[in-house]
Amino acid sequence: MGIQKDRVRFNVGGRIFETSSTTLANAGRNSFFGAIFDENWTLQSDHSDEYFIDRNPDCFAVILDLLRTGELYIPANISEKLLYREALFYGLLDHVRSAKWGQFDGNRLRLSESITGQAPGDGTAIRAGPDGGCCVAHGSMVHVYDWMLEEHAPITLDYQRVNDVGWIDSENIVISVCERLGRGDGGMGLFSSSTGELRDKFQVNHENQVKSFTAGALSFSSDYKIFSSCKGRSNEYGIGVWDQVTGKQIDFFYEPPGWSLGDADKLQWLHGSNCLLVATLFPRKDNCYISLLDFRDKKMVWSWSDSGAPITVDEKRVRDAIAMEENNSICVVNEFEDLGFMDLRSTAGSIRWSSRSRLMKGNNMPDEPCYPKLALHEGQLFSSMNDCISVFCGPEWVLTSRLRQSYRLRQSYGGSICDFSIGGDRLFALHSEENVFDIWETPPPPII
Amino acid sequence: MSGQKKKNFQIEAFKHRVMVDPKYAEKTWKILEHAIQEIYNHNASGLSFEELYRNAYNMVLHKFGEKLYSGLVTTMTSHLGDISKSIEAAQGELFLEELNRKWLDHNKALQMIRDILMYMDRTFIPSTHKTPVHELGLNLWRDVVIHSSKTQIRLQDTLLELVHRERNGEVINRGLMRSIIKMLMDLGSFVYQEDFEQHFLEVSANFYGLESQQYIESCDCGDYLKKAERRLNEEMERVSHYLDARSLEKITNVVEKEMIENHMHRLVHMENSGLVNMLVNDKYDDLGRKYNLFRRVANGGLLIVRDVMTSYIRDTGKQLVTDPERLKDPVDFVQRLLDLKDKYDKIISLAFNNDKTFQNALNSSFEYFINLNARSPEFISLFVDDKLRKGLKGVSEEDVEVVLDKVMMLFRYLQEKDVFEKYYKQHLAKRLLAGKTVSDDAERSLIVKLKTECGYQFTSKLEGMFTDMKTSQDTMQGFHESLGAELGDSPSLTVQVLTTGSWPTQPSATCNLPAEILGVCEKFRSYYLGTHTGRRLSWQTNMGTADLKAIFGKGQKHELNVSTYQMCVLMLFNNADQLSYKEIEQATGIPASDLKRCLQSLACARVKSVLRKEPIGRDIAEDDAFSVNDKFSSKLYKVRISTVAAQRESEPENQETRQRVEEDRKPQIEAAIVRIMKSRRVLDHNNIVAEVIKQLQSRFLPNPVVIKKRIESLIEREFLERDKNDRKLYRYLA
Repeated sequence: MGIQKDRVRFNVGGRIFETSSTTLANAGRNSFFGAIFDENWTLQSDHSDEYFIDRNPDCFAVILDLLRTGELYIPANISEKLLYREALFYGLLDHVRSAKWGQFDGNRLRLSESITGQAPGDGTAIRAGPDGGCCVAHGSMVHVYDWMLEEHAPITLDYQRVNDVGWIDSENIVISVCERLGRGDGGMGLFSSSTGELRDKFQVNHENQVKSFTAGALSFSSDYKIFSSCKGRSNEYGIGVWDQVTGKQIDFFYEPPGWSLGDADKLQWLHGSNCLLVATLFPRKDNCYISLLDFRDKKMVWSWSDSGAPITVDEKRVRDAIAMEENNSICVVNEFEDLGFMDLRSTAGSIRWSSRSRLMKGNNMPDEPCYPKLALHEGQLFSSMNDCISVFCGPEWVLTSRLRQSYRLRQSYGGSICDFSIGGDRLFALHSEENVFDIWETPPPPII
Repeated sequence: MSGQKKKNFQIEAFKHRVMVDPKYAEKTWKILEHAIQEIYNHNASGLSFEELYRNAYNMVLHKFGEKLYSGLVTTMTSHLGDISKSIEAAQGELFLEELNRKWLDHNKALQMIRDILMYMDRTFIPSTHKTPVHELGLNLWRDVVIHSSKTQIRLQDTLLELVHRERNGEVINRGLMRSIIKMLMDLGSFVYQEDFEQHFLEVSANFYGLESQQYIESCDCGDYLKKAERRLNEEMERVSHYLDARSLEKITNVVEKEMIENHMHRLVHMENSGLVNMLVNDKYDDLGRKYNLFRRVANGGLLIVRDVMTSYIRDTGKQLVTDPERLKDPVDFVQRLLDLKDKYDKIISLAFNNDKTFQNALNSSFEYFINLNARSPEFISLFVDDKLRKGLKGVSEEDVEVVLDKVMMLFRYLQEKDVFEKYYKQHLAKRLLAGKTVSDDAERSLIVKLKTECGYQFTSKLEGMFTDMKTSQDTMQGFHESLGAELGDSPSLTVQVLTTGSWPTQPSATCNLPAEILGVCEKFRSYYLGTHTGRRLSWQTNMGTADLKAIFGKGQKHELNVSTYQMCVLMLFNNADQLSYKEIEQATGIPASDLKRCLQSLACARVKSVLRKEPIGRDIAEDDAFSVNDKFSSKLYKVRISTVAAQRESEPENQETRQRVEEDRKPQIEAAIVRIMKSRRVLDHNNIVAEVIKQLQSRFLPNPVVIKKRIESLIEREFLERDKNDRKLYRYLA
């Protein structure tokens, strides 16, 4: 930067601010302040000793403070949206976002906001985006929110019922929907998250013929592949694999007889072992099937099923499953939120249920129960049950926190949590009724 | 509004949209367009960044992003058109400089334009999937300036011309080259490749194709390689100075192909300066250069070098081992082999980077030609014998080890290790009995080496010989202690008791020992048999030595060191002045051939014979007569009478040794066959032969014909039988 003295004077919308060039250097070259002090532009300040900027002075004060301290404090009289717009003008929106909330920690989460949407009916799924945004699937629509929780154009694929949705990156969303009989519609599509336009539609080929299909659960791998459980009309059940870049189908794992893949509710790509976890749990089949697929040699390398197991009095049915590669195990949960574990290293595994359970046995079941869901984030295990989310830590998975809207804020209470998702250092929880979702954030670290 | 007011009571319909000044966008764009012009004209000092940034921001905000973007494309394209013309107008040498200057200007302008349009870059461009401003500026520069019809070819030619001039030794402006090349790379690696690299490689291939043709006609191999190496280094340097690092491999490949690969055969076989010549003259630098350059050639560059070296070593080696001149002096023969090995070891380590494949080639060559001469085992043993007798006197322990290691290396090449063993045993026996060994440590060290090389079995007998020597010393001490007084002034006797079987003894008729000696001998015999029951002693008089005190005619006293046979002969002259051959033969009972040799050494030496022979002559005849030579004189008190000894084996002896080796091999081959058949039970002929050869090759290379004979002999003795159905199969009979 070509300025001689360290002191800098701004006149912003009539108010004078003084700061130092070192403070402004925190904005980086790729911003309004970076450009204005570049030697190409310095000659202009010769006639007066202050720089005039025709912007809102109140917001400038907040942003200048952000540059000075790296922390964001928004006074009550400034709306967030106004501040975001001003930050965008200066090219400092990323600074604001990274100062808005802290690094994710399941045990320090605070409820930041609850958003109510207009969609009719129950929510299906919620997915956190990589930069703090999220998308919510309701019936045949997917609503997309950016990190400022501004809603963008909704996404739909032939107005078919959405089964799953996922972020490839902050710009791209994939949704999987039911097929429309006889029309070849439905399947899977890739959309722009900011404009909602369809960029790519994925097709499935069987014996060189394009077939229509119903796409179920989705998963993405770090080597740019998309996996989805697929149901075709003529027994073409299995797991399809597509390339994210070309959009072409590159593989298909057909469902072996006596097993279930095409109906899977959950797919999870395991980076360390190069395998895909496929779990078919409920309620489409009577039995649960969990397997690990290796696509390189088309083998099921690990599998478990409860078919043929005797039905006992305190029947425990697996409602969700998640693989934990670091522990070489799969964690499952039943409808009473009991956690169970299976060893990935032995194939003849049975579930080891933890005895922690039944904390909530006293509660009466809600009229419309939501089955528990599981999530794993940097060594912390999360499970949802009714209207709260439990956090488990440590090698023994001890219950450490419980996330629940406090009763005084219940004006936007939306019933049980039907799905939740962690990403972009935020946790999003979708309620089954009233079309409400909550955003949980970790506050920035304490001052000292 | 005031006009409307005049029409009373007419209420204007509520306007839903607030109309922005329709000329607003146009006006704002004019301001920005003007600013872009000023920036290109180096006149930005009057511009206000804040104002321009705000204007661009407002255009995007009010949905005029499309207009702003297309306006930018148009303005920049037209500016670049002007720039392109001014570059095209530059004359000769100034062309590149003008291009470079405009490029730097454009970069700076682009940065400033991007600063103004930053808001558009951040919001409008990503959401409409347009090309960002900076990339747009580069693309336009590429399409409008670099790919303009006049510039594209001219730029290429200018760059290639500069490279050509630099190759011819001129100094060019490398800084300018570097910035132009960097420009091409900034425009995208494919621009660099298509507009420069690809042509550069073609031109280089032509250049080096021609140059190599010229050089190969006019230079010898060494000079050519020096030139090729220099060119290669020049190209590497060029890449590091002003080309993309990824071009390194491509351009070096071109040079390698044109200068080395295309002329590989010619370079290796070049007369008077090719590979063989370099090997002969130990041209390490040239050889190293050749190795390093040929190694770069992917398919088989080194293979040619290795093959030529191998065949040359084989030829020289073959000449060496089959040259009858060389066979006369075994020590020299082996020394030459070692020198040859040293020479190539040095070449491989200095010039060929200790390449394993070259070392293997060298080893296989030596193995090939050493075994061409059937006497190699004998000669190597003789070489060791020579070294251990005298060659290693006054040499440090480390140097001894070096010599022994070299011998072992030659030993490893031998196929007939058992023949070597045979000779080694003989020579070792002679050394031990005559006490001629220089260093006991060296002897043992070699045995240890042989043991690690060939196993315990190979050396057990050799070790037995050492044990015998040690026990004999103890026995003699005991003998003198118990009978010392009794012996009085009879001649002192040293006996070495040798275990039969460990030593290469030849059955020889004992001679008649003089009475004085006989007495002592008998005493020793009774002493020895008294301490060790159940043993038998027989005298090997052909292997002993004696020290005699003699007084000659004029009273000269001398001590003569002679063999036992010579001692027997000389003792006869204590009682007689003159004796005929017949008388001597009768009195001593020494076998005729030995006696003749022994008399020869006593009477026919050129100077200082102890005996005088009548008539004088070199050969001993049946009726010669001998008397003491009174005129014998010597400066030394102690005189050693050397035996006329066969250093090297004579032809018949050699045959005999061979015979014995063959005899010894028979049981070994049979044992191997039986071992194999015992485990396999049934096997066909070819497989037996192959397995026997495999089992025995560490000791010798058995001849298939001999193996067949052994199999037949085993069938006769009912160890094996032929299969009744298939005659080729043999069956083991337990």
